[in-house]
Amino acid sequence: MVIHEVDVPGVGKQYEVATSGETRFVVIVHHDGRREIYRREGPDADAEKLFDLDAATAREAASVLQGTDFRPLDLDDVEVPLGDAIMEWVEVPADSPVAGETLAAAGIRAETGATVAAVQRGAETLANPGTDTVLEPGDILVAIGSRAEQKALQSLVATGEGETA
Amino acid sequence: MADVLFETGIAFLALALAGALAHRFGQSVIPAYIVAGVVVGPYVPTEVAGVSLALVTHGEFVTTAAEIGIVLLLFFLGLEFDVSYLLSQGRELALLGSVDFLVNGAVGVALAYAFGLGPLGAVFVVGIVFVSSSAIVTKSLTDAGWLANPESRTILGTLVVEDIIVAVYLAVLAAVVGGGTLAGAATSVAGSFCFLAVLALVAYYGSDHVERVFDVGPDELFVLRVVGVAVAVGALALSVGVSEAVAAFFVGTAFSTTDLVERIEHLVTSLRDVFAAVFFFAIGLDTDLRVVAGVALLVAVAALATTASKLTSGYAGGRLTGLDPRRSARVGIGLLARGEFSLIVATLAAASTVPAIRETVPPFAVGYVLVMSILGTVAIAREGVLTSRLA
Repeated sequence: MVIHEVDVPGVGKQYEVATSGETRFVVIVHHDGRREIYRREGPDADAEKLFDLDAATAREAASVLQGTDFRPLDLDDVEVPLGDAIMEWVEVPADSPVAGETLAAAGIRAETGATVAAVQRGAETLANPGTDTVLEPGDILVAIGSRAEQKALQSLVATGEGETA
Repeated sequence: MADVLFETGIAFLALALAGALAHRFGQSVIPAYIVAGVVVGPYVPTEVAGVSLALVTHGEFVTTAAEIGIVLLLFFLGLEFDVSYLLSQGRELALLGSVDFLVNGAVGVALAYAFGLGPLGAVFVVGIVFVSSSAIVTKSLTDAGWLANPESRTILGTLVVEDIIVAVYLAVLAAVVGGGTLAGAATSVAGSFCFLAVLALVAYYGSDHVERVFDVGPDELFVLRVVGVAVAVGALALSVGVSEAVAAFFVGTAFSTTDLVERIEHLVTSLRDVFAAVFFFAIGLDTDLRVVAGVALLVAVAALATTASKLTSGYAGGRLTGLDPRRSARVGIGLLARGEFSLIVATLAAASTVPAIRETVPPFAVGYVLVMSILGTVAIAREGVLTSRLA
């Protein structure tokens, strides 16, 4: 997607977003914080003003557009979705006995009870890896499980021996 | 004391009423504020149905508040001034500015000579008829929903160049008016430019410090500091014979690259609008409609000739910036309104030592601005009728 930004002298800045098709979505941000929203049917069409928002309303509207969930977060409740499970980052050492094996063959789930939610490999993140994902030395496993399961996983990755919780 | 407060109260009420009426009819507030001044001022109409209407005199408060209005108007112009925009669009803006200034300036010179105002009169008339009103045009473009259209970039770009020309022009004019003789004027212009050059350099290199010095927590302390500096530097300029308006412009530029712009816009804009309203009101107080009627022919000819010239220069500017014919015509229409700058020039003319200029130019400017501000606003609102055949 391309957003064109131009100065509107004495007024503020104009942002033009090319949406699918010819229609453009134009936002003018005034120096005083006001935002005007226009729609243009095509590059040569006249702009049609849709909304006039003050700065505060514009910010709220923007978070709606971003899809941000608004419910205030109560810190005491943060751990509830995981129950007594915690999330840990476990690195696969270079000499790990499970390196080169798939998640299934290494028996991570079966032996330790911990679940691998994602694998970070360099700059890449493999989210929700399948049981056939092959582990490589240097991988960082994002694992969910109880403290005991986490401990078993660390042991499995390091020594090949999982102490089942 | 009660008298002064009473007059001030009437002044603000008259402005409030005039502003509300203008708003109701979709007009610019500037002509309405002038008319408010005329109505409650010392000249005709002086009474209605036996009730005196000469309610407000042009006292010290009005004079001072009007002066602060000019300072804040130009301060904001500086505040919104964007050097990087200017540099990036340099060629295009120079082209727009030259067409605009040459075409409309030439008409101004012709008008001044045709009506026997001489070379000095021509200098004043050029200033009055050439500059469009940034305030009215920007407001009208916003109201008409043109801001997101390509022509508004050409219109606003032209306004930016005009602002620069006005800054230089006012600096020269203020010095010429104060200088008296030709040699005196030359010295005065030179001195004035030295002062302004120093101010511009301080503004340019001092931006970082400005940010630190002015970044105070409480809003009221912030507003006081900003207004204090703008007015004090303006006063300093005036005391050495330099245009206070142009000095305020440079103070504004010192803030233009800082993060304080939004805060100033947010907190000081309404203060500027109140003082600017008093400035327009003060113009109205000094206006004797009988004198304006005496220059009616000049006003009418000037309105016709400069409407034609602005439409021409605007159209040319539009075509030069690659707009289609209809949008180019809109550029001319968009730039028709004249306002605050023409009136600032008029206040300088009122201080001229030449009687013909002192007596003719200010009433001409008032009549001209009344016509052109209304014409400009109406033309933008009715643009569809005017340009539909060009589509």
